[in-house]
Amino acid sequence: MNSLLALLIIPVIGSAAAAILQRYRIVERLITFLTFSLTFLFLFGIKTGNLFTWHLDFLGKNLEMGLQITPLSIFMLYMTIAFGIVLTFYNLSEKSKMKGFLLLLTLAASNWIFMSADLISFFFAWELMGWSSILMIFGGRREAESRQGALYYAMMSIGGSYSMLIGIFLLSNLTGTFSIQSNVSYLVSILSVHPWWVLGILSLFFAAFMIKSGIFPFHTWVPYTYGEAPDGFVPYLSSVMSKYGVYGFLIFLPLTLGAHVPTVLGLAWPNYVLLWFGSITAVVGSVLAFMQDDVKKLFAYSSFSNLGFILAAIAIFTPIGLTAGLFHAFNHLLFNGAIFITVIAVISKVGTTRMSEMGGLWQKMPLTFLTFFVGIAAAAGIPPFAGFGSKWMIFQAMISHGLIFATILLFFSSIASFLYLMRAFHAIFLGQLSHRYDNVKEVSAIGKITESFLLGALIFFGILPGFILDPINSIVSSFGLKPLPTSGYEYINGFFSSINMVSIFIVVIIAFIFGFTLFAVVAKHKKVPQEDNYTAGQIPQDWNLTPEMYQFSYDFYEPMDKELAPFLKVKIDGFFKGFGESVEYIGGAVKEIFTGNVQIYTYLAIGGLVIFIIAGWVVW
Amino acid sequence: MSEWTEIVDYFRGRSMWMLHYCTGCGAIELPPTMTSRWDMERFGITPMATPRQADILLITGYLAIKTLKRVIYTYEQMQAPKWVLGFGSCTINGGIYWDSYNVIERLDKYIPVDIYIAGCMPRPEAILDAFVKLKEMVQKGEAKGYEKYVKNYDWYKANQDRVLKRTSPVLKEIEKVTKIG
Amino acid sequence: MVIEFLIKLAQGLGIGALALATGLLFGGIGRKIIARIQRRYGPPFTQNYIDLFKLFSKGSVSHGWAFDLGLVAGFAPMLAALMFLPIGPFTLLPSDSSLIMIVYLMMMAYLGMAMGVLASGNPNSAIGMSRALMLMAGYEVPFAAVIFSVYLFSKTGYLTQIVAQQAGGFMNWNIVKMPLGFLAIEIALQGMLGEKPFDQAIAPAEIASGPMVELGGKYLGFGMIQHSVGLFLETGIVVDLFLGGAPNFWIFIAKQFVLYFIVILVDAILPRLRIHESTSFFWKLPLFLGILQAVIVIIQGGVLNV
Ligand code: SF4
Repeated sequence: MNSLLALLIIPVIGSAAAAILQRYRIVERLITFLTFSLTFLFLFGIKTGNLFTWHLDFLGKNLEMGLQITPLSIFMLYMTIAFGIVLTFYNLSEKSKMKGFLLLLTLAASNWIFMSADLISFFFAWELMGWSSILMIFGGRREAESRQGALYYAMMSIGGSYSMLIGIFLLSNLTGTFSIQSNVSYLVSILSVHPWWVLGILSLFFAAFMIKSGIFPFHTWVPYTYGEAPDGFVPYLSSVMSKYGVYGFLIFLPLTLGAHVPTVLGLAWPNYVLLWFGSITAVVGSVLAFMQDDVKKLFAYSSFSNLGFILAAIAIFTPIGLTAGLFHAFNHLLFNGAIFITVIAVISKVGTTRMSEMGGLWQKMPLTFLTFFVGIAAAAGIPPFAGFGSKWMIFQAMISHGLIFATILLFFSSIASFLYLMRAFHAIFLGQLSHRYDNVKEVSAIGKITESFLLGALIFFGILPGFILDPINSIVSSFGLKPLPTSGYEYINGFFSSINMVSIFIVVIIAFIFGFTLFAVVAKHKKVPQEDNYTAGQIPQDWNLTPEMYQFSYDFYEPMDKELAPFLKVKIDGFFKGFGESVEYIGGAVKEIFTGNVQIYTYLAIGGLVIFIIAGWVVW
Repeated sequence: MSEWTEIVDYFRGRSMWMLHYCTGCGAIELPPTMTSRWDMERFGITPMATPRQADILLITGYLAIKTLKRVIYTYEQMQAPKWVLGFGSCTINGGIYWDSYNVIERLDKYIPVDIYIAGCMPRPEAILDAFVKLKEMVQKGEAKGYEKYVKNYDWYKANQDRVLKRTSPVLKEIEKVTKIG
Repeated sequence: MVIEFLIKLAQGLGIGALALATGLLFGGIGRKIIARIQRRYGPPFTQNYIDLFKLFSKGSVSHGWAFDLGLVAGFAPMLAALMFLPIGPFTLLPSDSSLIMIVYLMMMAYLGMAMGVLASGNPNSAIGMSRALMLMAGYEVPFAAVIFSVYLFSKTGYLTQIVAQQAGGFMNWNIVKMPLGFLAIEIALQGMLGEKPFDQAIAPAEIASGPMVELGGKYLGFGMIQHSVGLFLETGIVVDLFLGGAPNFWIFIAKQFVLYFIVILVDAILPRLRIHESTSFFWKLPLFLGILQAVIVIIQGGVLNV
């Protein structure tokens, strides 16, 4: 069988099997996991330049549809499917209402997106991905809210799809073909004559990508949806699905390399605008994140804030910018996955998503605690974990262009990320352990394996970044840029310095060994329970002092609110929400649909696809 | 080994961090002791914020029974080596509160006191004198109150319980008072 | 190979000890200076050594392995960062002496320290930590702007090369070429070292010394080491960035001391700001200076050719 087709067909078959057997949760999860693994095996069969085309006869028009493999698609496929394996493996022991067949449909769609050579397949894949993930949002922890979240997400997705659809029709009317490559080269050729046309069409596409990645000002759906989605699905949503937008951007960004585009500070100005969108996203995400008390929402903000970093980096379409963006995309997938998987592990144990109700869980869940710790260290860009290299390269890319204000915004966002990560770390794992959680246990064996794997991966790719930078370099050269010099797996190269991560790792390890030795040889310590704490002389029992009362984590950064108050007054989501409500209000019939019944949504999705196909015929 | 202990004791005497438990009127003598006029920092003595960090517990004056309870809790939160200074006649024999119904008379019945500073209230010179004396004792390895406390814990505990039982219950209905919201 | 490694190891430990000794000495002299400004006699300048010795010989309480791990993690990365700092003419690992590496290793130390003190479960330490982090959100921004200017100006990220570029007399130092940047980083340094008016995190009378509330004995000792080595590192970075490094170790610490002396003088005369005031202070004047410096550098030197 053709490997390219197999990547599409196997998930669909798996999805059918999982849908039939979805009554038996374990079987369904196992099928999901096995399908992911099988898809991964077929991945080894594909190579750059593989093509698969077929022809469609539409009302006398002969359309060439196809699948093709570029270095970028290989990178994305490996990344997403490998993460899917880890997640579905973890989900074997997870109990939320995640539908395996929908995840597999999403996988098929995702593979199709990364492989499609023409805009029609790209659009259908995009729609399939959108609808299957929308359906997935149902069945979150809270019924009504998750319905709201799905509605919000659906609305934004549909908006993006329409924008993209219009873009596709405009383009194909101009060129008469749907092939991505020829369309892009057509746009390049008319860039000098009709720059505004090109930009108009591009922004139609970019709007769709920005919505999917949650880029400012379309970030508002992200926290609602991530916050309400089923626990088992959130890591996929934030680690993998946000990268579709990045992929989309990368299809169209080479365009602006054309010689006729006016530049700002050495950047084509569409790129400059995108860079600013990215930087603002990064700041908005981080600042909003440290006001959150809901842990899933907090990391939703964090997630799109990182997407802002990625967008800012790839918008500077230089070798280092591109490398940095892709590298950060990978690192984000990894550390965000680790963070979200540990977070859902904690949520499943304590039964709440409010951070102010948690605390002290390190005593109960040591491995989860360590994985989370390394995850946030990586997210904060601390060496020698994955995340340092990419953040540093992003900064180098920005600095080398002299983009002072955007760099400072990004740096501020990076510091703010330190703040909210610490706050989450403290509120979930550190501080006082409530007696409610006396019986909380560490995750199951499956969870432990997943977590140790992620822990290892975070360290491994941190100290040997070359394993990711090598494929990225081939992507960079496939875009016609000169890749960064490589000098071994342990090096992170850049303009300003090349850093040998292994030697740094060794130095840090030796320093730790020395630290522990010192710790062991000096005077002994005595272990005390958490109740034996400084209370200014008061005896806790006399005052009925409970651990919850002695835990400071609610409104952790309260003094900052005052400084940031003017910034927070701008309510973008109010606009979208009002819009959504009016849409919801339009007719009773429409309202009936949003009853939350998954089946109705499925019919609706299929109906929507049919309508799109018919619409396509009519337009031609 | 004994040389090592001597060295350790020498340095311990040169660096004593103090937690001042200011309950009585005598506390007013501490600011001049710390600041420009008498400057106790030149002996390596610095005020500290919590019992975990401190070496000296300075009790300035009378102790009501409820206060005693806190003092004992604080003392037990401190880590060895630790020393107690009783400051003012109130800690020695009750001072002007000798016949009060709710003030203890002798501090060293409840926790081991290494040095008493007599006077009502003692002047900064007296406090500094006590510090220097304590330093000498520590360096000679004589100030071993904390070991005494461990060795005679039963005796101290019995004394403490005898007075402390009058403090319970602190509040009749704890829940009502401490309820939030 | 093994011999080389052992030599490096010994040198590394030597650097660590030297940095610690210098940091503690600075702390001691700082206490003396403050005492003299307040017309006190002050402790002997060796007081910090004695304190550290005492702390390591005193008993302490632990709140569990996360507490222990955090305190060690607050100290080890600082030690590691020292290995990449050009101290006078000497750098242990010159090929890796990247500025960003040192800055981020210091961040790791703060993260570890934060983990340790927060694991103690005391709300005072949580308040202190939240203040320390908010302060960091303040001073890191002008610091970043200055680093940005230095990178663009020197076109390299190796501290060794930045130092080498400033060789040949006072007029070559970056302080002459980028005076505004130096001013910004000097103000940021005040916040980094947590000296007044930016000592909200460890306000002793207010929140019982904040992060250190549950630390005693050797734990406090580790905290003290972290602070001293951090002092050495932070002033050392500024010396390397702006004051042209040094031909030998003594001149290096003399230059460091000048920086610390300014910090101490400001510390001695100013009261404490409120936390949100100090955060927003860093976003105003120092950030403005930093950005101005960066803009000047961009106009002068242009951007890198890429
Ligand atoms: S000894 Fe005198 S000064 Fe001290 S507490 Fe008693 S009455 Fe007050």
